Amino acid sequence: MKTALRTASIAIIALSVWSCNDNCTETRVRRSMTPTTISLLEVRKDLKTEAPRALEHPGKIYVRDKYLFINEVAEGLHIIDNSDPSSPRSVAFVKIPGNGDMAVRGNILYADSYSDLVALDITDPKNPKEVNRVEEVFRSGQFDGGTWTYNPNIRAINAQKVTFFTETIQTNCEDNPTPNWGWGWNTAFAMADASFFRSSNVSSAAPTSGGGGGDGQGGSMARFALYDKYLYTVGQNELNLFDVSTPSKPAFFSTVQLGWGIETIFPYKDKLFIGSTTGMHIYDNSNPAKPERLSIFQHGRACDPVVVHNDIAYVTIRTGTFCGGAQNQLDLVDIRDLRRPQLIKSYQMQNPHGLGIDFPTLYLCEGEHGLKVFDATDPFSVDSRLLSHFKKMDAYDVIPLGKTLMMIGKDGFYQFDASDSKNLRQLSKIPVGKAAI
Amino acid sequence: MKKLIVLFLFATTLPAWAQDATFKKHYLNQTEVGIMLGRVKADPYAGQGGRGQEIVQNRTNLSLQTLNGIQCSPRLGIGVITGMDWYNSALVNPIGAGLRYDLTGKSTARLYASADAGYGFTWFHDDSEGFDTRGGLMLNPGLGLRIGKPDGAAFTLAFSYKHQDVTVNKPPFTDQTVRVENRNYNRFLIRLGVAF
Repeated sequence: MKTALRTASIAIIALSVWSCNDNCTETRVRRSMTPTTISLLEVRKDLKTEAPRALEHPGKIYVRDKYLFINEVAEGLHIIDNSDPSSPRSVAFVKIPGNGDMAVRGNILYADSYSDLVALDITDPKNPKEVNRVEEVFRSGQFDGGTWTYNPNIRAINAQKVTFFTETIQTNCEDNPTPNWGWGWNTAFAMADASFFRSSNVSSAAPTSGGGGGDGQGGSMARFALYDKYLYTVGQNELNLFDVSTPSKPAFFSTVQLGWGIETIFPYKDKLFIGSTTGMHIYDNSNPAKPERLSIFQHGRACDPVVVHNDIAYVTIRTGTFCGGAQNQLDLVDIRDLRRPQLIKSYQMQNPHGLGIDFPTLYLCEGEHGLKVFDATDPFSVDSRLLSHFKKMDAYDVIPLGKTLMMIGKDGFYQFDASDSKNLRQLSKIPVGKAAI
Repeated sequence: MKKLIVLFLFATTLPAWAQDATFKKHYLNQTEVGIMLGRVKADPYAGQGGRGQEIVQNRTNLSLQTLNGIQCSPRLGIGVITGMDWYNSALVNPIGAGLRYDLTGKSTARLYASADAGYGFTWFHDDSEGFDTRGGLMLNPGLGLRIGKPDGAAFTLAFSYKHQDVTVNKPPFTDQTVRVENRNYNRFLIRLGVAF
């Protein structure tokens, strides 16, 4: 008996020693880029209206009255009839190659299609028609981390087709295995384009205050904004103005150089708040034809959408794929003196993306951590007034519309009844992979 | 034949009766401190396609554990284990059920088997910015020696095998959208402790 026991114990110990290796694997979903060339003729020919289809890779959202536009990154727009927010209905899909942004004035929808700005008549939302096109105005952009550039020699787009693949590597069970940073150039390039990645993937919320009647609402992360008789579009380092005094005939007006890493544009009253990877630019827009820089509120390099209410700008900073930076925070900035913006307070967050303010309610998207609702009455104690936190959803961006709240995330499009900000109620969801028909 | 069987039953059950007659269920505590020994093999350049050159490193970590429960029979003790394991880059608190069973009879040095199973929590682990460390399954079978009087306090020396799962969500690098590490810690444990 004793011998057997001894043998057994030795066997067990020997076996356990033999297999005492930590076994750690890291799984990453990575982007792979394949260079492709698409001729402008092809890009223009491919614009057409198709039957409604399922959301696959939703990007920005835009609202105009009872219609809702959800961008399918680089592919086109879903048009959704939202007359009943509890059961939105897809009416059409407009295939627009290279589309990332949109804006609506009256019955005209402006959308980018790689280098072109397209104007579509959406009087019949089931069947939008191209009415005009400003050709070859945008020089470069990025979708999902894949850049595209306009090649004037052959009049084509040199793009990188992005595909995702999963790889698993063996690690040494410590926090940071050697990163795959590429060899410098790639990284710098990607960083420079941080904005495009984010903006093509995300869109945010807050009203686009407009001079012209019948404008829709986009987000703080939008790169398109309508004001007075102009359509403003921000590129990587410039602001383009289009004259849309006749909505169906947009005309290129002028370009304002902004500096590096421009991400978003948020018009508020007669000011333009421009989010860049290095900070927030404030422009005076009292002469809409010639915006003038008032100041730059600088912080570390990070992704930073901005929304504004009265004298306070709400800026989120997050660590993220393309943005660098090491903070996840919400900054409240005093902008009473527009020439000298001043930090009020920084709050630690989990991974803030888009945000929206319907004062005093502040909606903050925390990516995979869900949606947070704050009472922002006291700018010094926003974090202690968390009204609710919806965790089981992915939140990229919101549009607060007073009584309803729209939210887009990787897993779909949500609508909430926000009449009681303390008690948000989900009205509907269009999940990714399923058409709302 | 019948006689033989009766005799056999007598011989085997009598000692147990004798024990049961004097045995009373009582509180059991075993508190141990130990080291967790393991190795890890990885290519430091795996993230860049790998160079085919794996590096093997030793891992030595500290572990504390206490079991509180009942000595149900002279041989069997059951209880709840709580512990603290300092892995190189994770602080794990295993909580679970523990079992101690004496394999050999009454003597001052007894061999016992232990089986602990539970979940390792990461409540006290402080993540760096952007990281999210979550615990997982913990399994810990082993053998030990109890040295001391059968009814009194004893010193224990235990050898066991520990498996601990940990998952870490990490901030992705530039060309990635998701980065998750699955860790399986497999360690050989040597523990010293007291039991009463």
